Amino acid sequence: MMTFIPPRLRKPGIYALAGLLFSAAWLVQGGRLWWVSIPALIGTVAGVVRLYRLGGTDTDEGDRVGSRADERQQLVSLRSRALACNLAAITSFIGLTAAIAVKGTWGWPFLVTLLITGYGYLFGLGTYSIAQEGTPDLTCDKLVRT
Amino acid sequence: MRNRIREQRRQRSLSQAELAAALGVSRQTVISIESGRYLPSLPLAFAIARFFDLTVDKMFDPDDEEAGA
Repeated sequence: MMTFIPPRLRKPGIYALAGLLFSAAWLVQGGRLWWVSIPALIGTVAGVVRLYRLGGTDTDEGDRVGSRADERQQLVSLRSRALACNLAAITSFIGLTAAIAVKGTWGWPFLVTLLITGYGYLFGLGTYSIAQEGTPDLTCDKLVRT
Repeated sequence: MRNRIREQRRQRSLSQAELAAALGVSRQTVISIESGRYLPSLPLAFAIARFFDLTVDKMFDPDDEEAGA
């Protein structure tokens, strides 16, 4: 589906969708804080415009935001996401450990994040490792006589 | 790993942006490769060598640890 959307509009589009959902959530909850949806919506529009403009610049960041990243920029992006995931896992572990130590009931979000990052890592290893794995060529092995 | 991209590019009076466009990568990536801060993938290394009508081993010298200056 993404291929039908012009590259420069992809990231701003995802941002717009996320912002609209966030804004709608404040509106739907219907409490006293319904008005938060308005600044959230304004922030979303501002963010979309900023991303669109950034996507047109001739920089690494512009290329990434404009969805035209080359192999080096994709590698940089991948490393950054790996770092972010590592930090999330470490922070979650610290939070969970602290919650256990003080018998806090607020530790479960840390546990959920830790499980997601952990299983996500294992899932990635399984998926990408299998994708790259090939069958061994035993032709020459058979020629070796003991 | 030293490479001869800058030297070859200058010989052909090409800008980094023109070379980047020809190779289908960003100008920033050409800068990184020229300065030796980024080692290109095998397909890109071949594309670079082919663009300059050289072989990969003529373009990139693995024995020289110095960045291509």
